Amino acid sequence: MSLFVLAETPAGYGLFKSADKKLLKNDNLAEELGRPEKLVEMLKLKKFVKFDSAAMALEEAASLKEGKIPELLSTLLEDLKSEKKASLAVADIKLGTSISNLADANITAVAGSDTVDLFRGVREHLSSLIPGLETENVDRMALGLSHSMSRHKLKFSADKVDSMIIQAVKMLDDIDKDLNVYAMRTKEWYGWHFPELARTLNDNVAYARIVLAAGMRSNIAETDLSEILPEELETAVKAAADISMGTDITEADLANIKSLAEQVVDYSQYRSELSSYLESRMRAIAPNLTTLVGTLVGARLIAHAGSLINLAKSPGSTIQILGAEKALFRALKTKHDTPKYGIIYHSSLIGQATGRNKGKIARMLAAKTALGLRVDALDEEIDEKDEEERTAMGMTSRIKLENHLRKLEGKAPLPRGTNVDPSGNIAAPGQFTLKETRRYNTDADGVTEEANGETPKKSKKDKKKKIEIVEESDDEMADANGADDSDDNAAATTPAKGAKLSEADYERLADAAGLSVKKFKRKYERGDVALNDDGTPRVYSKKELKKLRKADEGSTPSKAAAVETVTVEKKKKRKHDSDDEDEVVEKKEKKQKKKKRQSTDA
Amino acid sequence: MPPFGRGAPRGGAGGRGGRGGFGDRGGRGGARGGRGGFGDRGGRGGFGGGRGRGVGKPMGGRGGGRGGARGGRGGGAGQRGGAKVIVEPHRHPGVFVVRGGKEDGIATRNITPGESVYGEKRVSVDEVQTNEDGSQTTTKVEYRTWNPFRSKLCAAIAGGADDIYMKPGSRVLYLGGASGTSVSHVADLVGPTGFVYAVEFSSRSGRDLVSMASKRTNVVPIVEDARQPARYRMVVPMVDVIFADVAQPDQARIVAMNANWFLKAGGGVLISIKANCIDSTAPAAEVFAAEVQKMRADGIKPKFQLTLEPFERDHCLVAGIFNRTQKSA
Repeated sequence: MSLFVLAETPAGYGLFKSADKKLLKNDNLAEELGRPEKLVEMLKLKKFVKFDSAAMALEEAASLKEGKIPELLSTLLEDLKSEKKASLAVADIKLGTSISNLADANITAVAGSDTVDLFRGVREHLSSLIPGLETENVDRMALGLSHSMSRHKLKFSADKVDSMIIQAVKMLDDIDKDLNVYAMRTKEWYGWHFPELARTLNDNVAYARIVLAAGMRSNIAETDLSEILPEELETAVKAAADISMGTDITEADLANIKSLAEQVVDYSQYRSELSSYLESRMRAIAPNLTTLVGTLVGARLIAHAGSLINLAKSPGSTIQILGAEKALFRALKTKHDTPKYGIIYHSSLIGQATGRNKGKIARMLAAKTALGLRVDALDEEIDEKDEEERTAMGMTSRIKLENHLRKLEGKAPLPRGTNVDPSGNIAAPGQFTLKETRRYNTDADGVTEEANGETPKKSKKDKKKKIEIVEESDDEMADANGADDSDDNAAATTPAKGAKLSEADYERLADAAGLSVKKFKRKYERGDVALNDDGTPRVYSKKELKKLRKADEGSTPSKAAAVETVTVEKKKKRKHDSDDEDEVVEKKEKKQKKKKRQSTDA
Repeated sequence: MPPFGRGAPRGGAGGRGGRGGFGDRGGRGGARGGRGGFGDRGGRGGFGGGRGRGVGKPMGGRGGGRGGARGGRGGGAGQRGGAKVIVEPHRHPGVFVVRGGKEDGIATRNITPGESVYGEKRVSVDEVQTNEDGSQTTTKVEYRTWNPFRSKLCAAIAGGADDIYMKPGSRVLYLGGASGTSVSHVADLVGPTGFVYAVEFSSRSGRDLVSMASKRTNVVPIVEDARQPARYRMVVPMVDVIFADVAQPDQARIVAMNANWFLKAGGGVLISIKANCIDSTAPAAEVFAAEVQKMRADGIKPKFQLTLEPFERDHCLVAGIFNRTQKSA
């Protein structure tokens, strides 16, 4: 098996045949290769192929960099096929494996640590190994090649789309700063002429537009400001203009102020364009990131990491504190607690959280963001997916986090079917509010009357009964078998009492619902009517009922949670009332609590 | 440590560079070198006040107090004083000392006369040569002043480095070339017969590097990751010196890899180490010692270590000789 050596030079490929077949096994190779005479003796040039042009050299070098076999090299390797068995020493391991994998040639490539010394020698004595290849020529070729390679790399930079986002979000920050400065200056300047205007309205852009529309204070009364201001503000401004204590200014002064105000208006117009551009870009490039943290925070994160791929490579813990490096390193140095959040602090999820939950949610959000980012950056089938599929991951995580946060904060979870809109805001589902859906759930369980009993009228009833209901539901939660209590009977009867409506009530409610008394009565008994808190009836149409039923079927697991939150709310109420409760009730309560504890222990 | 993996590309989008007050140029190697997008490096001029010591050699008597209030960039006005300025060769070949004006400064001979790379001051001097027949010819020679606050290598020279291994005609592999400001001075130093192979990964800084290199034919720009020397194996021959200013947690490994590929046996290694980039919690001295130990394990024999105070905080330059003995890549 003969050993060949491949030398890649900027001028072309050199293929050498080694005189010693076991050259690479030689331990003293490094020393021996130090002398050019020795090296020339050991390696005989078999063939040297030149690159025809600079363009060709660039092409060859580009695929060599990736470890692929370029065209010219594969033709050179054809020559080795005549050899029965050949091993070829190459510099790069990746290239070595691609050569070994060549189907039609039985060439074994040698690469890695064995060949390092050999190639150090080859590189050092290239000109003596390849006759006719002067060092100056090689240098010139290398210079040309490196320039074209670098230009090529810069031209086809992979993260050019990210850099647009980065520039946009930085520009947005710059604009915000500048816009504020300009607006303040406008107010300050025009304020000499009409100081009351700044006090009557807060909006910077509206201020600038009034300056542009009206000019002198005296013109304000005749100017139509209805497009700029709501009516009540317009009258207020006009009234203020009449009695203003501002100084007079000349036309030239006004012209300057106006051109400044024009800047403010134009600038804010540009800002809104830029922000919508950023939003659409973010939605296209990082849909999951955007769903989780919103456009601006997402863009800032990308800007901070340098590119989307860089951000996707970082773990959740890094994403969590990105932007808080100063605090982090200070904390590490002084062995204090590290910061809980960086840029991510401004996301709406963390904004909703309070106190300690902020840190918790920041951690969870960062973890989910890291996952979503990897999907955004590395999903290969992203082009085949529609908008919804692409954000699926971020959407489910976001809802999960929202619900988790609500749990931490002791709030009711989001209703089913809640969506996140593209800009990262939570959108409630369809036309139903939270309360109604939950009310219906109990409805459909066949305890219609109980649900209907929860009307304002019922709340007027004595406190004792209320407590009993609470305890009943408590019981249900803790132990379903413990329902054979005397309280249970009471609870069962309570809603029945409340559900019975007098004829007068029927008449009143039917009128409010816009139905005939008969029809209303029938509907009411069937349970198709719900009473709102303020006592007005809400009649469900057949369509709505169908929808509700469907939704209810889908949401059976969340029922327990719904019940739980109801009881929590009631418990609060009870606490309030407990002061003026009679002792009997209290005792009962204690007993119940004990029982509950036992059952939960068991 | 690396809490920030391979975070921001060097000099990437910058933005962090303006934080000069702490003396660290933006996180870990963040905006270093890069003009930080909008050239916010100008803020570093504030350091100039502390330069009472003068550059290169201490100046007796003078320089008490604030030592001239000129900042880094605005400096050098006094050095343009025409006839008063004298340029002398420095101990290291290829480096020159500009005397005259208020302070001494370090400079290199400009190989593209008439052009500044990053707005540095240029000094023109008439050089008188005596020909064989006794007649004299005067040629104008231009030098570019080299600011030790902006270049680690210059800071090392100003701090009295024993040897910089590079001289006119050398081939230098410069890892972490950034925008090419220091690279241009190294290119001046090695002259038209030498070569500088400047490796920079960030495409933003690489852009500036390529445009600088297009004016200097002895600079070979390489926009690649220094962690993968195989990717630029075609353009880099064996070199005499490796200078590394990469500010990465694994920079010792990066240097060793490149040395194995490209550095001649007995070639010089210069590594600028920023303690904060390796481990921000440990004391600087410990970090330096650990890095030196790593170099030793990789076959680089340390020769001297030099702190870059007062130009940089918690930085040092370690010099060594590469000797490839054991077979390990």
